[in-house]
Amino acid sequence: MTPEKDPSSTASFRPARPTTETAVSSSVSNELAGLLTHEDRDRARDRWRVMRARWRGAGRNPFPKISLLWLLIGPGVLVFLGENDAPSMLSYSATGARYGIGFFIPFMVLTFVMGFVVQEMTVRLGAVTHRGHAELIFDRFGKFWGLFAMGDLILGNFLTLVTEFIGVRAGLSYFGIRPVVSVGAALVLVMVVIATGRYWTWERITLGLAAFNALFVPAALLAHPNWGSVGHALVTWTPFPKGDEYEILTLMLSTIGATVTPWMLFFQQSAVVDKGMQPRDLAAGRFDTGLGALLAAIFGIAALLATAPLFQHGIDASQFQGLEFAQALKPWLGQIGSTLFALGIFEAGIVAAIAISTSSAYAFGEVFQTGHSLNRPLREGWAFYLVLLGSAFVAASLVLIPNVPLEFIVLTVNVIAVLAMPPALAFLLLLVNDREVMGDHVNGRWANIAGVTVTVLLICAGIGFGIATVFPKVLGG
Amino acid sequence: MSDQKKGTAEDTRVDQLGVTAKPPNLDDPRVVLSLLEADQVVAEKRQTRFGRRNLSLSLRMLLWGLRVYVVLMLVIVLIDVLRTLHLNP
Repeated sequence: MTPEKDPSSTASFRPARPTTETAVSSSVSNELAGLLTHEDRDRARDRWRVMRARWRGAGRNPFPKISLLWLLIGPGVLVFLGENDAPSMLSYSATGARYGIGFFIPFMVLTFVMGFVVQEMTVRLGAVTHRGHAELIFDRFGKFWGLFAMGDLILGNFLTLVTEFIGVRAGLSYFGIRPVVSVGAALVLVMVVIATGRYWTWERITLGLAAFNALFVPAALLAHPNWGSVGHALVTWTPFPKGDEYEILTLMLSTIGATVTPWMLFFQQSAVVDKGMQPRDLAAGRFDTGLGALLAAIFGIAALLATAPLFQHGIDASQFQGLEFAQALKPWLGQIGSTLFALGIFEAGIVAAIAISTSSAYAFGEVFQTGHSLNRPLREGWAFYLVLLGSAFVAASLVLIPNVPLEFIVLTVNVIAVLAMPPALAFLLLLVNDREVMGDHVNGRWANIAGVTVTVLLICAGIGFGIATVFPKVLGG
Repeated sequence: MSDQKKGTAEDTRVDQLGVTAKPPNLDDPRVVLSLLEADQVVAEKRQTRFGRRNLSLSLRMLLWGLRVYVVLMLVIVLIDVLRTLHLNP
């Protein structure tokens, strides 16, 4: 469980297990003072608040317990609401518009359960090892396999980041805002959020922005969905969509890719480390992850329900981009409903752009051993922030190219995310079963069964997509 | 929940420090170290690494199999993209 000392290291400092009785002599403390970073102090401040809340919550009074949860939630809610991103919401919208209320609603619930299963493992990895996902893969599997994993991540992250800015552009174009202005404003917002130099502040601001993912709920209510049909679909998984089987398969893959993607693994583990979570916080970490999955499922289904009227009224939405959805929904959702929908797409894009660019920066810092914490001031963590902003800037620039088939890109990126997921899950399962890394926190039998099942399902879905693409006649195409 | 029960006695001592003291003086390295686990400290993490694990033949085959799977699937996605662009120029 304890990592090995790097033999090339010249320093010999190793702090003791933290207890109040730990005596650190003053001569040593002077040496330590030089070694401690701004990041350590900020993280210690966060831990102090958690410890205080935990001690106060030891009694029967529920409020301190709520306070403790408030302090510890973050990475799980953020990762799931971040993954309810522009391509995901547009994918759910396309599903609702083309197939209405039916099979896809319980299918979405299943994908969020799958998401919870794998994300819970990243919480454990982060809280127990205090290392990011990329760092652990490089340490345990070496540079060769580490570079493959990073290649998948960087490619997937970049493509997804492009689609986030597509969402930003599509959402704000509803209000007549020019793409260059909307995308530029999104970049400025990303900069403002990271300029705080404090993980806690970054997390709270991003959580505040992510709360606007709930805008899809009133939009769905304005569509007056038939709740009996929703309940029937949830129980029976019917009606099963009819029509172009290839398109249905693509949408199924895209729906999985809207919930389970490699960036989520890397992001949540790094965020858990940056937040300073420890093994004793695991219960709260699971709650955080479960809450995130639940909220994201509700908001995702709301996006599907909001666009279901297009299916019921026979509107052909096959060529719709983000903006067209909001405009086409006006007769059923009204001005307010379609405005909420457009704002929701914008929000989905901006929160995910923040989370995904942060995920890339974390992974870069972990692999190249540069500072990789949002607790670092800009001058100390410049490489980290440069990767974060640089990836966002390049992705944003691509979105400004005119006449790009946005909806097609969105669905394709989600499909790529699913196809890149099995190797990422294999590394995750190997790490979380590695007793040298996890100690007593290794996966139990049921977690392994669930993890392997998710991996096999994703591989089968990918192979099905591959067969349908290469041999379209298999599906009657 | 079982995770919360582990190490209760030791952790309570830390908590009592946290709650009874005023906001901690984080300029004092002893306070910082008392609040963090040993391997949470940046300097410590820089000096220590988890070693390489042994990759058995079956494990290597699994990883290569998944790698080939990803490459094949990306080629298929590329075919799909080119086909779509051909149909809708």
